[in-house]
Amino acid sequence: MKAKKIGALLLTGVMAFTMAASVNVNAAEQKRVCFVARASADTFAAWLTNEMKAEAENYEDIELTCVSGEADDNKENSLLEDCITKQYDLVIVQSNNNAAQAPYVQQLVDAGIPVITTNPTTHQNDLDGGDDTSVMSGTGTVDADPIAQAQVGAARAVEEIPENANVVVLRGPSGNYHAEKRREAWDTYFFNEREDVNILYEDYANWNSDEALTLMESWIQSGTHVDAIISMNDNMAAGAIEAIRDNKDYFNEDGTANFLAYGVDGTAQGCLLIKEGLLTCTALQSATDLAKKNMEYAEKVLNGEMEITEVNDYVDAPEINKENVDEYIQIYIDNGEITEDALAE
Amino acid sequence: MKSKTSHYLQKFSIYIVLLVLFVACSIISPYFLQYSNLINVTRQLCVGILIAYGEMLLIVSGFLDLSVGSVLALAGVYSVAVYKSTNSMLLALIVAVFTGVACNLVNALFVAEFNVPAFIATLGMQQAARGLALYFTGGQNILQLGNFVKIGQGMVGPIPVPVILVICVTVVIWYLVNNTRYGRSLYAIGGSRAAAEASGINAKRSIYKSYIINGVLTGLAGMIFMARNNAGLPNGAVGYEMTGLTAAIVGGTSFTGGIGTVSGTIAGAFIIGFLENVMNLIGVNPYIQQIIEGAIIVLAVAFDVVSKSKKSRKVIVVKETEEKKA
Repeated sequence: MKAKKIGALLLTGVMAFTMAASVNVNAAEQKRVCFVARASADTFAAWLTNEMKAEAENYEDIELTCVSGEADDNKENSLLEDCITKQYDLVIVQSNNNAAQAPYVQQLVDAGIPVITTNPTTHQNDLDGGDDTSVMSGTGTVDADPIAQAQVGAARAVEEIPENANVVVLRGPSGNYHAEKRREAWDTYFFNEREDVNILYEDYANWNSDEALTLMESWIQSGTHVDAIISMNDNMAAGAIEAIRDNKDYFNEDGTANFLAYGVDGTAQGCLLIKEGLLTCTALQSATDLAKKNMEYAEKVLNGEMEITEVNDYVDAPEINKENVDEYIQIYIDNGEITEDALAE
Repeated sequence: MKSKTSHYLQKFSIYIVLLVLFVACSIISPYFLQYSNLINVTRQLCVGILIAYGEMLLIVSGFLDLSVGSVLALAGVYSVAVYKSTNSMLLALIVAVFTGVACNLVNALFVAEFNVPAFIATLGMQQAARGLALYFTGGQNILQLGNFVKIGQGMVGPIPVPVILVICVTVVIWYLVNNTRYGRSLYAIGGSRAAAEASGINAKRSIYKSYIINGVLTGLAGMIFMARNNAGLPNGAVGYEMTGLTAAIVGGTSFTGGIGTVSGTIAGAFIIGFLENVMNLIGVNPYIQQIIEGAIIVLAVAFDVVSKSKKSRKVIVVKETEEKKA
């Protein structure tokens, strides 16, 4: 009886040891990656975070932790400092403000932690204020090219916007890399080509549809017909369109819109507006693709297949327009953002 | 005669500021006086006015609500979600109001029962409600609102639906403040809570009532906000607590409590609304807009405060003179 007890105790001890050892082996095998998002209240950052979490489930050797800077530079910088304390194996950073986060990204690099900056890329001149616009030394990047994204709409607009047209421009937050670069692209590929076009009004709506709605409601009071809405993202375009959705001056007798509108991001809302004939086109910034590439490169760096500085990739910015919008709407139906019933109505 | 004019100037100082601004805007932009623009400004101010009423009731009794923007977003997205699954505007309204009231009951509980400063209690709710809204939606906008948008974009004849709603609410709030025991208790508590309680006023009950009314107004504002934007925006209305507070304070509500009116709050909201509108109409640089707006708000309040303090000094001097004579 006593021998049985001892045997049972030994067996239990061996089992417990084996389980603990296997857990330790798993923990040792799993690499710890942290994704520092810009803000959870930012629609795109939230989408990217969700896609990162979903993608991470495909990687058994990676444990992904997601945190958010909540659009507060100080908070995001603190999170980056915490990443050093917690000794993550790799950190993926979505900066709120490139220049503000650059010194903290440098601290991670100095601590020997590989860093991928994503949406937007952190550049060398964000750190030192110089002229070097290459990817920040010692880091890698996975991004969407804001110039290429805005160029999609700008190239179409050169052909589509009527002569001597009056346009309004809605800008993203001042100082935001993607906001500024998208606006620059519109200068390069549209306004420099079409000097006849008059910018009736231009203002910052900070990516927000409610701010764009209020601005557009005031702008149309001048009575001058706005021939085109040039927006640096779909969210603001949607707000501006809401301001004229029921305005007879903006629709022909057959119900078609007599204005053009250009966005960027290819959000579900943008796609629905294209389907309605209210948004002319947008360029997709796919959070799904960004997440896939980030995780793919993270694994390669962690497995020693790549150096972090070799990570330099940009997702495509395909145009979404009335010809191909159905295929993108189907994607949003599949992920539950759009319902078929409401679409049928 | 001079003293009568001076009396009216002091009593109606904020309305004089509003009138001067109105005339100035009319001169600055030829589009300002258009009916469509004035309706436009009024429609834009609806959400802000509803919030400002809630803040005014709270500030008068010595409290405030910093969670209103987040609670508005939470009530709005819940309401939109319920509408989308039931197609019932009544249910959507009930859910919006219930959410607003529930959040504000929590605020009231901490303020009234545990004496947590309103600033802290509502700051906590600000974080929690925003987190709930983002968690509920996964940070994504809720789209395809259908007929829900009518509460924010619909028209009854030439008047927008939200304007009609705000007019109805204004009548109710005005009545509550000026013709009920609750209204009188607000001013008494704001003046001196100890004195009010000594005179038999149940301060706790009044605090609960104020937060409940604030919750109803916030829920309704949430519905209008989402309907206007044709989307359930969990990240919407960020910083709207400042919109409400600014309108109330510019309208003469005293942060020290005991002073504040419905009409003054409306005037405050319109001062800010006209200012923003005219600067957008004439295309003022957005950075300059902020400078001008900040400066004019401070000047307007300073004018109002100086006018009223002169009035107070005068009353004191007259009383002292009468006492000496006696």
